[in-house]
Amino acid sequence: MDQNKTHELTMKEFENIFNRLYESLCLIANKYVNDLDLSEDIVQDVFIKAWENKVPFKNKNKIEGFFYTAVKNKSLDFLRSKYAKDVETYSSEGLETLQTERYFLRESVIIETSSLVERALELLPDKCAEAMRLSIESYTNKEIADEMDISVNTVKDHKKVAYKKLRKMSGYLGIT
Amino acid sequence: MDNSDKIKPLSEKIVTSLLKDETSIDLDTFNTLTEDDKKHILFSVTNKNKREERLQLKNKLNKQKAWKAIIDSEKQSNTKRKMIYWYSGIAASIILLLSITFFSNKNDELINTAIVAKNNIEIGTDKAILTLEDGSEVRLEKGQIYQANNITSNGEEIIYLLTEQADHTEAITNEIAYNTLTVPRGGQFQLKLSDGTKVWLNSESQLKYPVEFNGLEARKVELVYGEAYFDVSSSTLHNGMKFKVYNQSQEIEVLGTEFNIKAYKDETNIYTTLVEGKVVVNYQDKKQSLEPNQQLNLNIQNNNISIITKIDNTYKEVSWKKGEFNFKNKTLKGIMKTLSRWYDMEVIFENKDVEDKIFTISFQKSFSIEEILSSIKYANSINDYYINGKTLTIK
Repeated sequence: MDQNKTHELTMKEFENIFNRLYESLCLIANKYVNDLDLSEDIVQDVFIKAWENKVPFKNKNKIEGFFYTAVKNKSLDFLRSKYAKDVETYSSEGLETLQTERYFLRESVIIETSSLVERALELLPDKCAEAMRLSIESYTNKEIADEMDISVNTVKDHKKVAYKKLRKMSGYLGIT
Repeated sequence: MDNSDKIKPLSEKIVTSLLKDETSIDLDTFNTLTEDDKKHILFSVTNKNKREERLQLKNKLNKQKAWKAIIDSEKQSNTKRKMIYWYSGIAASIILLLSITFFSNKNDELINTAIVAKNNIEIGTDKAILTLEDGSEVRLEKGQIYQANNITSNGEEIIYLLTEQADHTEAITNEIAYNTLTVPRGGQFQLKLSDGTKVWLNSESQLKYPVEFNGLEARKVELVYGEAYFDVSSSTLHNGMKFKVYNQSQEIEVLGTEFNIKAYKDETNIYTTLVEGKVVVNYQDKKQSLEPNQQLNLNIQNNNISIITKIDNTYKEVSWKKGEFNFKNKTLKGIMKTLSRWYDMEVIFENKDVEDKIFTISFQKSFSIEEILSSIKYANSINDYYINGKTLTIK
């Protein structure tokens, strides 16, 4: 890929990114400002600015990083603003922790990973999804079987179906 | 590789491993993270409670509305530019005032604009008066800590805790103790009731509430006057006990929800705005239920009601609790009425023509009254203003 060749998002691509990331970005903003309404405002603002400024992307893989970073920066801006200082007691962690890259990476990965998991589960038939959900919660096959009132073999079958489907869908999920 | 670039590959790696049911997940290549971080990530992703917490938060989001707001932003950018104009207006007019002062030192004849004789108009702060069941009063204000039996206050918020031995049989025999919280003009305060319900009280408001709910009948509080925002703790946590808010002319019945009531003594209407959940408003012998984003206006002079459905600016109606004023298409008279409560001032319109001018304006409650006025003046919306003591005269 030509280093200088940048990609400007089309409206359709922009909408897809919004649909994929909106909820996750609100959750990450909420990790900073601890106020869901405000988090929604912050994320909407980031999308509005990104669209107005026609932010170019050199690499599609950087899109997630761009939005997560923009939301983090805007949230921190809010926390450092005059008004927020008055209500500091409402955020769960001290500003010092919130400002670290470690906190940002850790919380973003939790939210992004969970969002990918949920999307994967949504693609599966109900029983399969239930078995996979329990499996992710570290239930053993035996425990899943007891919980769902089915045999261990059926649990294994559900999982096999799940792997097969997910492998086919991994492209759709954005998992490479 | 930038840290933010790692979010995607790292998340994908974890998801793939989780879905493949791999027993150990190799995250060694991601050395920005400590072992503790890695453990924390895996725990948070796979823990059932954490997952449910996230799903609950997500359910509260309004994705469609957000998308609409984003695509409408092109249209709204005109309004937005106006806002920037307001803000730059503030800056410009400060410079303007400064230059006037500068010249006035040399030439006294130039002082003929925005006369400020003695400005005693102050920005509002966190403060309230707590009246205990025995009638004694406690002054609460920013920076002052108050602590009594089950009550604590940090000067911004007052919190009621449940008594340890919540013996309900004892509660019925004892009379329920009521406290009253009065927020004066120029004040605001927050309250957390013993059932976990949060209340934001705006300037010039009074709320009467039991120190503890007895758990045997509906939870009842009274908004004696003024404006309050309620985030009611769900009935399911309180044996299905409903929560009721009374005021002079109506009663609001809720199960667990967020809403705003504006019932000022000097206004003819009571405005009930539902943000989330469901409420039923009882007035006279009628009942009216509200859906989110609906506002019920009860005119207490003729008992007429009107319901505004789908108000698109619910956020603006309740932004006062977040330290902002957001006025959308409001008259200058109405705006000044709200401001007079926060800045504890009297407003006189010498020029009646401007009273009904319509404004859309937003600013933080931490702005001084002069910052706001000079921006209005800068936009040529008023000719001039005059401040003396706590009185503002619009010319």
